[in-house]
Amino acid sequence: MITGDKVLVEDLLSYIIDYGLSRGADYVEARYHRNYSETIFSRNGEVLGIGREDKEGIGIRVIVNGALGFTSTNKLNRESIREALERIIEQTRNTGKLMKEPIEFAEARLGRARYEALIKKSFDSISLDEKVDLHREWWNTFSKTPREAKAAVLAVQYIESIEEKIVVNSDGAYIVSRVPRIGLFYNLVLNHPQKGSIQRWEQLGASGGIEWLDTWDLSKKLEEETKTYEKVLLEAVKPPTEKIDVVVGSEIVGLIVHESCGHPSEADRILGREAAQAGKSFIKKGMIGEKIGSEYATVIDDPTIPGSYGFYLYDDEGVPARPRYLYKDGLINEHLHNRWTAKIYGVESNASARAMDYESEPIIRMANTYFKPGDYSFEELIEDIKYGVYMKSYMEWNIDDERWSQRYVGLEAYLIENGRLKNMVRNPVLEITTKSFYSSIDAVGKELRFYAGTCGKGEPAQGVPVWFGGPDVRLRNIRLGGG
Amino acid sequence: MKNELLDLGSKIIEKIRARGYDEAAVLVRSSRRTMLKIANSQPSVTQHWRRLQVDLYLTKDKRIFILEIRPKDPRVFDKTLDEILKYASVVKESIFYAPLPEPKPIEKLKGLVDNRMFDYIDDPSKLGELAIEAAHRKKIDYVAGTIDLWYREKALVTTNDIELYEDSTGFQMYLRAFAKPDGSGQWSTCSTKMDEKLIEEASLEASRYAVESRDRSSVEPGRYDLVLSPLVFGNLINVVARMTSAFSIFMGMSIFMRYKPGDRVASEKLTIRDAPRYIELPYATSFDDEGVPTRDKPLIENGLLKNILHNSKTASKLGVESTGNAGWIYPHAWNIIVNSGDANLEELIGSVKRGILITNNWYTRLQNAVEGLFSTITRDALFLIENGSIKQPVEKIRIADTFPNLLNNIEELGRKTYNIMWWEVSTPTKLPYVLVRNINVSKHML
Repeated sequence: MITGDKVLVEDLLSYIIDYGLSRGADYVEARYHRNYSETIFSRNGEVLGIGREDKEGIGIRVIVNGALGFTSTNKLNRESIREALERIIEQTRNTGKLMKEPIEFAEARLGRARYEALIKKSFDSISLDEKVDLHREWWNTFSKTPREAKAAVLAVQYIESIEEKIVVNSDGAYIVSRVPRIGLFYNLVLNHPQKGSIQRWEQLGASGGIEWLDTWDLSKKLEEETKTYEKVLLEAVKPPTEKIDVVVGSEIVGLIVHESCGHPSEADRILGREAAQAGKSFIKKGMIGEKIGSEYATVIDDPTIPGSYGFYLYDDEGVPARPRYLYKDGLINEHLHNRWTAKIYGVESNASARAMDYESEPIIRMANTYFKPGDYSFEELIEDIKYGVYMKSYMEWNIDDERWSQRYVGLEAYLIENGRLKNMVRNPVLEITTKSFYSSIDAVGKELRFYAGTCGKGEPAQGVPVWFGGPDVRLRNIRLGGG
Repeated sequence: MKNELLDLGSKIIEKIRARGYDEAAVLVRSSRRTMLKIANSQPSVTQHWRRLQVDLYLTKDKRIFILEIRPKDPRVFDKTLDEILKYASVVKESIFYAPLPEPKPIEKLKGLVDNRMFDYIDDPSKLGELAIEAAHRKKIDYVAGTIDLWYREKALVTTNDIELYEDSTGFQMYLRAFAKPDGSGQWSTCSTKMDEKLIEEASLEASRYAVESRDRSSVEPGRYDLVLSPLVFGNLINVVARMTSAFSIFMGMSIFMRYKPGDRVASEKLTIRDAPRYIELPYATSFDDEGVPTRDKPLIENGLLKNILHNSKTASKLGVESTGNAGWIYPHAWNIIVNSGDANLEELIGSVKRGILITNNWYTRLQNAVEGLFSTITRDALFLIENGSIKQPVEKIRIADTFPNLLNNIEELGRKTYNIMWWEVSTPTKLPYVLVRNINVSKHML
């Protein structure tokens, strides 16, 4: 399963645990981690180049004198590992004297297991020239679709990757895993001499193989989207300025739950560990059970969804994964924990520790975060709206460092009049607090859709694959900006 | 490790030649780096890395291949080179292709290594202690931040006989201080050389803003004159600098798609320079990833677009010379300097009738990179300015406008400059406070 010399690697991991403990560490964790990827990048159908990345090494974490240390090496021999371990134990011991509250890990039921994300169609089930041909096909579709606007740029990055890990720690974990992933990033620009331009950047991603190219059908997607964006460019009107009802499309709902539920529910953020980087949280310790929204507000983060971009079955501390109900029926319900935050909260870790690669420490991350679907069809969501806006997709967004005040600017958006979609609306702005968003929801669609993203957190910054999703939801009495 | 890195590069070049590739560049990078992360006024983690990374640029029949490998075993190269060669018959010629540049004389920068950095790379705890202690001289509650220290080496070997080596030290540090009930402030610094004074000053500045920004009031959205700190201005100028990369223009990610050098794109007060030869800033370097000598150059000079950043490939596509900014794919600025103006901070504030002093921001995102429509949200200390003086600390708002407006509405720049580098300012940037007139400010109204 692991493509390197598995016996040698496992022997080294055991050696790290034993040697670290013998040098005075209270906890030692060793993670063999390989990220392998191949990329084809093109512009307007022509391949600019092919890239390959192969990062392979061991990440090591220790607790010494109540302080935490992390180091990594890609020299996989005992001498290099001894040197790296001795250095990090010494450095961690030195910083230990500055600790006021020592770092401890909660007890956990650690796994001894191996798992693999399944591929239905392997990466080599289509040849490289067929993959290159796809780039031409996508450009042909995009460039021929607009009637009046000009297809200026279609930049595409196609990535296939494999992530392999062996996680071992001094508390007994032993987890071997292999997760292949496939991804597409594209940026398109439509220009019109009088009407200006539209830009759309999008990411598609999943665990698995080539089967996802069939699911995504990028040619069809590009054709439909290009027609829509041209209409935005040529026909869209300003959004209404009065208070209206707003249907927020699943793409935006997915982003909102990631930003305003997933991130503020990270217990390390709540405890201030990321305060100078990704920020803090409006959720404070002790707020479990407080009201955050209407009865419809249930948000789940589930690493175990087959085929998901954020898929895993055990985290990088060896804890078995399960769905986490972060907001439930309008209440703050559960946070994302690793073994350190679990100790402080007096709970069990719910397996949220993940590292990007062998050079990264495991930190608390989301996996696949989504708003729980309801039972409305789209037609039912809009049928009693006299005057409103449906925001289907977005480009610009941001949220404050406590995850309270957020802004989403619609790209594909429509006026709703008397229960029907009408003209397109240009750049409507939903600028709202977290509590207002979740409290304003009075109906939830039944169709759950997921979107791929690369979530950034940590220092050095770690980008990890995630899905976020949800159904369309309806908000009442909203004042949009951009009018 | 100079000879080791150059030898490794040469050996890989031999393997590449033996397989019949037309051209290659091998960039071998080695680093020692320690990062001390602070949260709740104590270390949250000490991280140390020793990294050996090999990047390969290969061409065969004008096809381009780029590889990034962290080798645990030299056999990786043989296998990879054999596999990649097979791709050459499948892929079409890259429209991006241009021959690797011929060797040119390099004037090596001196003074890029400060031996004092090594002690702190081995043991960063004293710097952590200094930062925490300095910040706590004011009445704050706690601090969080990062001290990041490194020694880097790079060796470049190419098939057209370029063999270059350079090493450098550097650090970046940023600290965020919190003061009850709602005060917070942040500052940052960076340099090639260790200077404890810089760390102390940044800590004091963060805690001063934390204390002064307590007891905030709300502020209405609308149009304001904005005084932006070097952290905020640095974040926005980093976005602008990225848009001057020919690759950004090529890929539809730049406001400069519509302009050519010589066009007016900003207020005449604004001059932004790419400064790879300014050795005080930590990404200073004598040569780029293609072995082209670096040179300092204006990106925007007195408001006019002066230079687009090129590597040999983007340059060839537009019929110009490389500017020494490779990135094999993505040309980029090394260090950024914004020319200072004549005013001190009090004078900038003094010329504002109704405005806001913004000391920090994050999460800058664009609705449309071609038109430059963006917003960014503030964090930490923010002050309402009325009739030329600071009236009160205020709550978070967004700057929501366009980059063309922002650049054109620059009225005045501060005299004093600061070295800034942190999460939201990834390219080391030396710049002052700035006054920008009449910018749209938004906030949540629900």
